[in-house]
Amino acid sequence: MKKIVVPGELLSSERKRLGSNVFVSNGKIYSKVLGISEDADEKASVVPLQGKYMPQRDDVVIGVVSRVIFAGYNININSFAESFIPRSAMRDDLKMGDLVSAKVDDINELKEADLGFPRKMFGGEVIEVTPVRTPRLIGKNGSMLDLLRQGTGCEIIVGKNGRVWARGGNLELLRKVVEFIDANSFKSNLTNSVEAFFKAEGITVSAPKKESAPFATSKKILEEETEVLNADEAIGEEENEVL
Amino acid sequence: MKVNDMSGRVKENMPDYKKDKKRVDGRKMDELRPLSIKVGVLPNADGSAYLEWGQNKVFAAVHGPREALPKHTQNPYKANVKVTYRMTTFSVPDRKRPGPNRRDQEISKVLSEALTKAVFVEQFPNTEISVFVEVIDSNAGSRVACLTAASCALANAGIPMRDLVAATGVGKAFNEIIVDLNKDEEDAPDAVDIPFGILPNSGEIVLLQMDGLLTKEEWAKVNEMGYKACKEIYEVQKKALQEQFVLSEVSEQNVEESVEKKEAEKKEIEKKESKKEAKEDKAKKVRK
Amino acid sequence: MRTTVLEYDLSKIVELARQGKRVDGRAFESARDFTLELDMCKNAEGSAIIKLGDTKVIAGIKMAVDKPYPDSPDEGAISVGAELLPLAHGDYETGPPSMDEIEVARVVDRGIRESKAIDFTTLCIKEGEACWIAFMDFYAVNGDGNLFDAGSIAGLATFMNTSVPKLDENNKIIKHEYKGKLQLKRHPLLTTFVKVGGKIMVDPTYLEEKASEARFSVATTEDGFMSAMQKGPGAFTLEEVNYMIDLAFKVADERRKKLFKAVKN
Repeated sequence: MKKIVVPGELLSSERKRLGSNVFVSNGKIYSKVLGISEDADEKASVVPLQGKYMPQRDDVVIGVVSRVIFAGYNININSFAESFIPRSAMRDDLKMGDLVSAKVDDINELKEADLGFPRKMFGGEVIEVTPVRTPRLIGKNGSMLDLLRQGTGCEIIVGKNGRVWARGGNLELLRKVVEFIDANSFKSNLTNSVEAFFKAEGITVSAPKKESAPFATSKKILEEETEVLNADEAIGEEENEVL
Repeated sequence: MKVNDMSGRVKENMPDYKKDKKRVDGRKMDELRPLSIKVGVLPNADGSAYLEWGQNKVFAAVHGPREALPKHTQNPYKANVKVTYRMTTFSVPDRKRPGPNRRDQEISKVLSEALTKAVFVEQFPNTEISVFVEVIDSNAGSRVACLTAASCALANAGIPMRDLVAATGVGKAFNEIIVDLNKDEEDAPDAVDIPFGILPNSGEIVLLQMDGLLTKEEWAKVNEMGYKACKEIYEVQKKALQEQFVLSEVSEQNVEESVEKKEAEKKEIEKKESKKEAKEDKAKKVRK
Repeated sequence: MRTTVLEYDLSKIVELARQGKRVDGRAFESARDFTLELDMCKNAEGSAIIKLGDTKVIAGIKMAVDKPYPDSPDEGAISVGAELLPLAHGDYETGPPSMDEIEVARVVDRGIRESKAIDFTTLCIKEGEACWIAFMDFYAVNGDGNLFDAGSIAGLATFMNTSVPKLDENNKIIKHEYKGKLQLKRHPLLTTFVKVGGKIMVDPTYLEEKASEARFSVATTEDGFMSAMQKGPGAFTLEEVNYMIDLAFKVADERRKKLFKAVKN
């Protein structure tokens, strides 16, 4: 049974494996945050419904250049602290306001993230979403992401830090669908509703039944971005565990 | 009834709660004023809440965790939880001069200390979790209203806590131990006002202040009433946080309805277009 | 909610403006819709909450008895204060009034005072000895731009809905007793514009303000007068100023209609 829990709410008085966003006190397991927990799970875990982006190793993030100095660039990744990319790590020169995609390499004890594989994003737009809800945009094995690509024809990269980068295709429609998913992320039956959403616009999409062929349409994707996209999909699979 | 205000002065014609068994506003001794909470009301804040409790109306907003500035306030082991308590000029019967006074600053401090015990501050070193509470209308008990609202705002912001903080005023007036004093009761000659805030799970007390004279026996009754009231308040807080998210299926029916609507709209537009075309065709024919 | 303004946000707005568009799809001459709620603060003699788009402002009036100024012994006064609360935006801080807060308070004040909306002699209690001062304070509770107009509308609504307390023989306020409401002769409202990417648009959002190169506000009344003007940063041509004044009369009239409806109910 799924239920919404508040901070400090009792999840279990029995021993269970400990997942994320829980703590133990006097042998009982409690939730740390406002979120969703599943009673039946063997692991006591809470999926948060709100919250600032907490960088974790291997996250794909979309950053924005907030300051240019001689040694490199300060990057805003929508978290508690900014990251820094040295000039030597970038193939292209960046200026204020430029977008970059990167992977979180390492985090120090002050939650500052080191970014690896940074690359400049050319063109495109950013859609802001709640960071903790990004797994829903990716879906099981990237199925939701695939629906979005089918339905809008956009190139899409979902950053775990609550930023979705998209280029080409029907950006207006993508924005609407992404906002719809973000607002309804905690509800079930989301995939069908997204299919219906596209249908209302006169576009037929179908959720892939098989795991292979996640890309239904062929697009001219820059070679570097494919690398990042593949990393993206892998994370989608991981997140599904918690949901 | 004559009430002895403990300094030797005697006041006449005061209510006597022990005899009347009812309070000046009709409440029972252990009855709270109406309390309602709504969360997520301020889009620019990371978390927010609006609370009404009796005549009290307060807004609470959370910004953070964010980098603590100035830099020398940064603590490399934990977050600073900083509450700023303020009132508008028109929130009190006699206009309050703009700007914080010493009472505002003391309340800000005790509320910060209360919330610090609830938040997992070790998870966010070097940051500040800023909580702002603004009272826009008041009638006794504004600080516990603010603390109750602030803890909802923190949860709404997704900040990890070991528990919510539920708080109430409790104490004595007109010869009886009561909960949630209103202004008339606060002004009673024998009034004792005790802002009381707890972590509901463990029962730990995180806010406790007192004004007045009280015996130990009276204190036992007071805190018993306080705990009971805080449990009720906790339920209201929980409901407010949960009601934002109704765990339903995204109704297929709703989506179907909007699909139908869109198709009907499309048909309307097509009809209009074809009518226009027919008119233009006619006009062309006439011209010919 | 992310409120850090990134260069990326601002350049997007300028780009859209050059194409004749705004982020929320409004036309350059369209002001946002607003809702008003009156009288929620029971300790105030008058109060109003306005939602102008996502900008939310609370205004309240406290009436106090004071000695009149020596150079106007038969007149009362108004006093307007403003605060941009940290509730409203991650960038706002507590502290002594900032220049922005002082400016917005004074411009809203000027719009009402200079329009002779209130005949100050009606606020006289006893010539040379006692008069009413109406203290209006407005607070931004959520900021999405244009606190000038939001403060002006909420402030006017509050003035129109303020009960005057009864006084005893010693001119002390009797609590909970009132005689009538403040009377206004005119109803001035501010309309604010910004210039973004060389284009002029009315009722800016927070990001539009940040992306703007110039700002201008003008208060207009229902009987064809301008009662206050304030240019913020930047520069305008005479044509631009005349265009804004004409548009301000229109926008203010629309808003006034809505305001009167809300106050009547």
